Amino acid sequence: MNPTSLLAFEFPPINMLLRWQDVAPTINKVVLIGIAAALIGMGIFLAAARKDPKVAPKGARNLAEVIIEFIEKQIIMQTMGPSGLAWTPFLLSIFIFIYLSNVPGVIPFIQMPATARMGIPAFMALMVWVVYNATGIKHQGPVGYFKSVLFPPGVPKALYILVTPIEIISTFIVRPFSLAVRLFANMLAGHLLLVIFALLSEALFQARDRILIPVGVLPFAVLLFLTGFEVLVAFLQAYIFTTLTAVYINMASHAEH
Amino acid sequence: MLISTILLAAEDLGPNPIAPENKELFWGAGTFLVFLFVMRVFLVPKVRKGMEARYGEIRAGHETAQATRAAAQGDVASYEASLAEVRAEAAARIDKARQALDAERQTKVAEVNTRIAAQRAQADQAIEAARAAARAEVAAAVGSVTTRATQLVLGKSPDAAVVKRAVDSTMSGGRS
Repeated sequence: MNPTSLLAFEFPPINMLLRWQDVAPTINKVVLIGIAAALIGMGIFLAAARKDPKVAPKGARNLAEVIIEFIEKQIIMQTMGPSGLAWTPFLLSIFIFIYLSNVPGVIPFIQMPATARMGIPAFMALMVWVVYNATGIKHQGPVGYFKSVLFPPGVPKALYILVTPIEIISTFIVRPFSLAVRLFANMLAGHLLLVIFALLSEALFQARDRILIPVGVLPFAVLLFLTGFEVLVAFLQAYIFTTLTAVYINMASHAEH
Repeated sequence: MLISTILLAAEDLGPNPIAPENKELFWGAGTFLVFLFVMRVFLVPKVRKGMEARYGEIRAGHETAQATRAAAQGDVASYEASLAEVRAEAAARIDKARQALDAERQTKVAEVNTRIAAQRAQADQAIEAARAAARAEVAAAVGSVTTRATQLVLGKSPDAAVVKRAVDSTMSGGRS
């Protein structure tokens, strides 16, 4: 017997899972999630900014302050030190935007992380690339920056034959590429896993052979576990992207790195 | 042939799912840049300013509390020093009073002892006088009896001095 027909399990084409119809000209679900992420982020901080700062913070103000302190203490102070605190708004915006673009992947009826499409990760990585290179040029001058990137101090001169090409590729190609692909691939993989286990659960629960119906509990349990796991992944990917951005900016700011 | 088959298969699958879509890229970029601008220029500085104002107030409150605590600790130390001084003074006064009482007691005891000794001496003298008087009376009686007995035995009176010497000798333990 053909197992596919037994379970009535058909995995839809990948583009059906990822490409969304436009709800308005050039605006699809992914674009809407991106816009919503920005609006929610602004909404939280707008609500926080309107509250009296002198009383003990609660609600939106508390949330905003917790996020700011998290970015400052757990990312900036750990990677850049006190001199990096000026980057708080930039890193905070990256973290919030990516997190709020990731988390719809586990929100019922939305169930699509905007970062599971390459557009937002690619732009974010490109922007970070521009920012850390511009920072390096600003702090060290064009010659000093490219010299420190191409010829890292402390390396024996003979090794520059090997190190310089590696550094060029690493700094100017691999870093933005890995930033974008890491975020995109993790979110896409998580989204596909949720789709697979959801479809498998549905197929088993609706199987014509009644003996298969209880078996559907297994993929459903995995689906629940993966949903919880994706909540963690959504946060973790935003944290990793922001931390690496801070590291790259810090490395570009100081020639000794 | 093979390449054309692959291309046909790829066309069947639709556009590359990994490639970024221009609309998602540009909308994502625009949305994020607006978000970054609003956060950077308006919202984060305002929230941060509020946080710093509150932290400043908390720090000032802490400093005031520490100053108050230090002042209170100073007051407590001063109070304890005064208390110790008063206690030392009280102890000295008690000691002085105790010494005065002790001296007075000793004086009075000495006076009483002197009085008792004087009274004892007077009593001793009285006893001794009584004893001497009794002894004299006994000696006189014994002498009289001895003189009369001698008269009865010998028919003549003995020399009074001899009788007296003999009586005294007998009464003083037989020594003559």
